[in-house]
Amino acid sequence: MKSSELLEQSERAHFLLGNEAVVRGLYEAGVSVTATYPGTPSSEIGDLLYETHRDLGIYFEYSVNEKVAFEVAASASSLGKRAFVFMKHVGLNVAMDSFVSLGVSGVKGGFVILSADDPSLYSSQNEQDNRYLGKFAKYIVMEPSNPQELKDFVVKGFDISEATGQPVLIRSVTRVSHMRSVVKYGPVRNEINNSSKPDRKNTVLLPENSFRLQPQIFDRLKKVVEQGFSRNFINIEGEGEDLIITSGSAYNSIKEALEISGLKAKVMKIGISYPLDVEYIYNQIKHHNRIILIEEGGPFIEEQIYSIIAGKGIRKEVFGKITGDVPYNYEMNVDRVKGILAKIYGIPDKTEVVNIDLPSRPPEFCPGCPHRATYYAAKIALRQKGWKDYISPTDIGCYTLGYYDPYGFGDMLLSMGSSIGTSNGYSIFYGKKVITFIGDSTFFHAGIPPIINAVHNNHPMIVVILDNSTTAMTGGQPTPENMGNIVKIEDILKSIGVKNIHKTDPYDLKMTVETFKRAMDEEGVSVIISERECALEADRKKSKDEFKIFQVNQDKCKLCYNCVRNFTCAAFYIKDKRVYIDPELCDGCSVCSEPLVCPFGAIEVVK
Amino acid sequence: MTSIVLAGVGGQGIITLGKILGEAAILEGKKSLMTEIHGMAQRGGRISVDLRIGDYQSAIIPIGSADAILGFELMETARNTVKLKKDGIIVANKRMIHPMPLIMKAQEYPERESEEIISRYNHYYVNADEIAMSLGEKRSVNMVMLGALFGVGILEISEESLKKTISASFRNPRVSEINIKAFEAGVAAVNQEKVL
Repeated sequence: MKSSELLEQSERAHFLLGNEAVVRGLYEAGVSVTATYPGTPSSEIGDLLYETHRDLGIYFEYSVNEKVAFEVAASASSLGKRAFVFMKHVGLNVAMDSFVSLGVSGVKGGFVILSADDPSLYSSQNEQDNRYLGKFAKYIVMEPSNPQELKDFVVKGFDISEATGQPVLIRSVTRVSHMRSVVKYGPVRNEINNSSKPDRKNTVLLPENSFRLQPQIFDRLKKVVEQGFSRNFINIEGEGEDLIITSGSAYNSIKEALEISGLKAKVMKIGISYPLDVEYIYNQIKHHNRIILIEEGGPFIEEQIYSIIAGKGIRKEVFGKITGDVPYNYEMNVDRVKGILAKIYGIPDKTEVVNIDLPSRPPEFCPGCPHRATYYAAKIALRQKGWKDYISPTDIGCYTLGYYDPYGFGDMLLSMGSSIGTSNGYSIFYGKKVITFIGDSTFFHAGIPPIINAVHNNHPMIVVILDNSTTAMTGGQPTPENMGNIVKIEDILKSIGVKNIHKTDPYDLKMTVETFKRAMDEEGVSVIISERECALEADRKKSKDEFKIFQVNQDKCKLCYNCVRNFTCAAFYIKDKRVYIDPELCDGCSVCSEPLVCPFGAIEVVK
Repeated sequence: MTSIVLAGVGGQGIITLGKILGEAAILEGKKSLMTEIHGMAQRGGRISVDLRIGDYQSAIIPIGSADAILGFELMETARNTVKLKKDGIIVANKRMIHPMPLIMKAQEYPERESEEIISRYNHYYVNADEIAMSLGEKRSVNMVMLGALFGVGILEISEESLKKTISASFRNPRVSEINIKAFEAGVAAVNQEKVL
């Protein structure tokens, strides 16, 4: 998407990804400062801001992690500027400490944080529902259902934040951030670029100040209801005896599911799910005997509805997660909602599912990926040194895929940086050698404190830093090593006092195997920096003449299948028991032609 | 109202196609909705895009209700037939991209099995990769496929709107011209299939 399309002032409809609509919303709201650490499904907001922020007149940075990104935005708000920070759901855990404190301080310039949750775990380690974190930290929680609302809620979120003095959390989900639909632009307001010093009695959370601020938090939250914001974000549609209460992405499935099932119900869609307007909702639910609650995650709204029912002393028949009528996990879709309604109404669910039995297609390393070569070399070195019961914590990035066969690395993974963190424990309690894997961007994000701990407390381990000089998994965002003032991993390690620092190029298998073996003989903390640019990034820079591809010389191939069984590049395939290389997929990295993969020299460059 | 599943493997230009198709519909004043799921891998993983033109709220197409599957890869085309209604149409590229579990076990691709599943439905095959290659731009596979989809007559969008959107989507005029040619070649290829 080009800047000119974002800057347009026309009434025409745009076909925007939810994440793109967010950027237009920031422009319309006159936001000054934005920051993030990339994470799917929020990454495209950063990709687009990175490309266009100068034209939009918005400050944007890729911060080293979510906590720093949050603090960059919070500081801007304390000066009176409008500030926005965004991240995937688990990124908010990283920012948690400052996140909670800002709820106490309140804000001066409008402050909106967007958390992109991932129900059904398309690219995450959990499906945590960050509405709970919003409520926990006393933020105003908003839930858009589609790209148009994402844009509109961003704009209105800033107004509400400034009207109340409290920060706003927008909870998006994969299917809203990655939904593309019609978006109509609104007016652009002038940037509010105040710059007055923070009110230090609110922004320095000494116990004295915090004590005084506690009641103010709830006074600010009350304004959300008193000024009608909570009520204005409730939409009611349809007619029927029963009431379905829903929000966010789950809302999108309800209408079609009702239609297919031949059912009628009133649908209440909640746009601000914390704080709720208790009186308004009571006046709605009191007319219905049966209430069905369908939300993704939770039971967040559901628990609040129970509170209203109990508080008002009314009796209602409620169907939801707590009663077992709605499943706790995964995203909603028409098929699931239809199934839920069928059970509640005791009607048949007519969906016929055809069973299709085909091999799975799990995610895999790209052809030419340097990680494949690093893992392949590591396995050879471990075998040659007779290491069998080693333990190998891994981390978050493309290289997590080394978990799968035939590589089989990874014994523990909790969060960003946990590879080195857990290695500190394993090095003492497991009693055997630890070899741990982490990427360059993850190392900067959360890998430095645990490696200081390892040196300081003398926990022996081999740390392999898979350095492809990009944040590859989220689409190739920059890292401190390749943009701005360059920060080198090697310099950090030296300053920490890591004595054994090795560098290798994974495309040179022989050198990499020898490097691993040398590190395995050392005491204390050893680091191997396995350095080779991400193949996708490198390909973008190649000229046409630099591209080459490889093929299998069938006369030389002895059908040992080592290349397919152990190196397992995605460009290989088998036909009539022979090995071939798909010329469309081959990246030309040449690693498979090395004797450590093909001892018979059967893999040759295509002339 | 039309619901189409675009199925294939990362790197085949499926999302670009979905965008163009959706934008062409909007150009004609229709509503379009699209949702894409790509897993952890940047390349080689499964991709499926649900595209719905008309007055829908849910971008996710319910099981057994899609009007068409536009399949870029044989096995992924077959896999996605769970979403197709009984009298739905399949437009399938013959391309086979071998998944890791088969490569690792030195096993062959389930070509016959995939074709058998596809044959249960009204289907058209297109050699989109070959056609794109013959036009000198292998990345125009997606526009060959778009042409084929238009050719089977399932889209309620005019050729003019589609071509206009294609032209506007590529900044380089040469690339834009090749993609229009690819679209036309896709239409021709599917018309030929119809005759056979």
